[in-house]
Amino acid sequence: MEGVINNLLLGFSVALTPSVLAYAFAGCVIGTLVGMLPGLGPLAGISLLLPATFGLNPIVAIVLLSGVYYGAMYGGSTTSILMRIPGEAASVMTCVDGYAMTQRGRAGPALAIAAIGSFVAGTLSVVALMFLAPTLAAFALRFGPPEYTALLLMGFLVLSYMSSGSMPKTLAMAVVGLLLGMIGIDAMSGYTRFNYGVIELGDGIGIVPVAVGLFGLSEILLTAGQATPPAIQRPSLRQLIPSAEEMRLSVGPIARGSLIGFMIGIIPGSAHVISSFVSYGIERRMSKHPERFGNGAIEGVAGPESANNAAATGAFVPMLALGIPTGPITAVMLAALMVHGIAPGPLLIAQEPKLFWGFVASMYVGNVVLLILNLPLVGLFVNLLRIPYSYLYPAILCFCILGVYSVSNSVVDVWIMIAMGAFGYALRKFNYDLAPIALGLILAPMLELSVRQSLAMSGGSYGIFFDRPIAVAMFAAAAVLVLLALKPLVFRSKDWREKVGLEDQA
Amino acid sequence: MTNAPQPAAVAAPRGLRSDGLSGALLILVALAVAWENRVFPTGSLAEPGPGYVPLLFAVALGCFGLLIMLRGSASPLLNTIEWTESRRGLVLLVACGVAVFALERIGYRLTMIALLVFLLGVVERKRPLPTLLVALGFAFASYFLFATLLKVQLPRGPWGF
Repeated sequence: MEGVINNLLLGFSVALTPSVLAYAFAGCVIGTLVGMLPGLGPLAGISLLLPATFGLNPIVAIVLLSGVYYGAMYGGSTTSILMRIPGEAASVMTCVDGYAMTQRGRAGPALAIAAIGSFVAGTLSVVALMFLAPTLAAFALRFGPPEYTALLLMGFLVLSYMSSGSMPKTLAMAVVGLLLGMIGIDAMSGYTRFNYGVIELGDGIGIVPVAVGLFGLSEILLTAGQATPPAIQRPSLRQLIPSAEEMRLSVGPIARGSLIGFMIGIIPGSAHVISSFVSYGIERRMSKHPERFGNGAIEGVAGPESANNAAATGAFVPMLALGIPTGPITAVMLAALMVHGIAPGPLLIAQEPKLFWGFVASMYVGNVVLLILNLPLVGLFVNLLRIPYSYLYPAILCFCILGVYSVSNSVVDVWIMIAMGAFGYALRKFNYDLAPIALGLILAPMLELSVRQSLAMSGGSYGIFFDRPIAVAMFAAAAVLVLLALKPLVFRSKDWREKVGLEDQA
Repeated sequence: MTNAPQPAAVAAPRGLRSDGLSGALLILVALAVAWENRVFPTGSLAEPGPGYVPLLFAVALGCFGLLIMLRGSASPLLNTIEWTESRRGLVLLVACGVAVFALERIGYRLTMIALLVFLLGVVERKRPLPTLLVALGFAFASYFLFATLLKVQLPRGPWGF
């Protein structure tokens, strides 16, 4: 405990320096804007900002990008509550009861509870991150190639089980991502694979063009030409204060949302999206008056908003402790660290204590900044929503081209982004989840290396994966998930998506 | 026992389903990858070559494609999927393609001005003055922010733009 406090003090000595503080603030403001604007989610926002962090020191870079991430979680709630437009996917559930509250003249308390819930969940999750990440990192030092193989395969199965779509479709998309990750030079043999003479593909396909194409461009292709948004309410500061009854009703959902969000955040997948759906389903189930849900129940705002913020923080645990991203957003952040020559993994916390603890402390600061931004300044941010989408999307499109080009000054990357945009658009039409593609792409080299090293270690025997206790435990967990996924097919029962109402809303 | 005519069972509408098509396409992709992968040695189990893991992934993709195809009977019919925004989407993609082609030839700022004038003035039919103001404002402001302040290298054309 004393060690953690000393480390945290070290962290605050970093996080409270003027430059880190300024970038944390900038990240939170940009994140809030990114979360509010439809067509520009946190992933596209972070990807576009990535080139701008190359000239910064690694602590400032990661603080800025993570500020964008959890800032977007806060910002996404504003458009959901006021306009029934989810600024990003994790805010879809907030639309349901948040907008119903707006229609009943309770937009202020809905915004306030969303901000308070996000703040509480964000802060509690940072405390959990602080204790869990170093423990997990110490444990991960026992991992060899077979354990990493088992961990990655289990991760893909967890991702597919927890995804909002069907399991085979999610796994197929993960494999598409893994195949994209095979493009370029093979690290073990030096062969250049699938590059068809394009020199730029020798280094493989980068995560940024793929992420911006799949998530940013495809969203614009789907939404361009939509009608101008309706008139927006702008609550005054006094109207933001929730009633005592609303506060009482929100305490339980915020606590549960924080816990659920953090737990889901640790496992792979679009954690912040899934956590908000699961939290909403649980709150509806636990309520004595479930009929209030959909008609302006404050619990339907408090739970999902807390959950998506907690999940955003939870996702940093495997990223920092194991060097394994649980989703495309943490994958881009890992890329940002690698650009600065920092190798994320179990040794990161020991080798870079200033970076890790400075990052943790900056999250405390960021949550306070976001609470200030999202309560008294909400009226200011709402003005941005008055810009017609017909002006907004061309600018976002230009930002996509600018951001992708500037990562490595390559037009090939922009062509990849355009191709991925078209691909993502078609996949969305066919109800495929896009996140596994980005995750597969980033994990492909790690998975290939660990599979080949494991086989080399064992002299060609797949038995190595079943000789080692940690790997066996992971495969057993994966087998349980497969059985759980098969259960609804065999017994014709509802699976978890139907139980939490995910299929109704997705 | 009466011989009254029984109501005909409601038959599911027939036709190609979205999962049927997408599953088949995934199988085709898997076959194409396996075919392209033949030039890389797969090695042995004890020493897997550069073609080994891509082949495993191609096989996995084919299996998932088959599974999606077989389970696709509950998916929507292909002709019920709406593509209302596809024409505008195609225009945007082509505009982006032209912009990428122009980027390193005429420079960042001129390319962005041209792209924004096209999107706002032609696609969105905005009035000329706001179109021009947004296009010029965005191109110069973003260049100043990224190239001048953040030191990101952006291409300049033959006229210094």
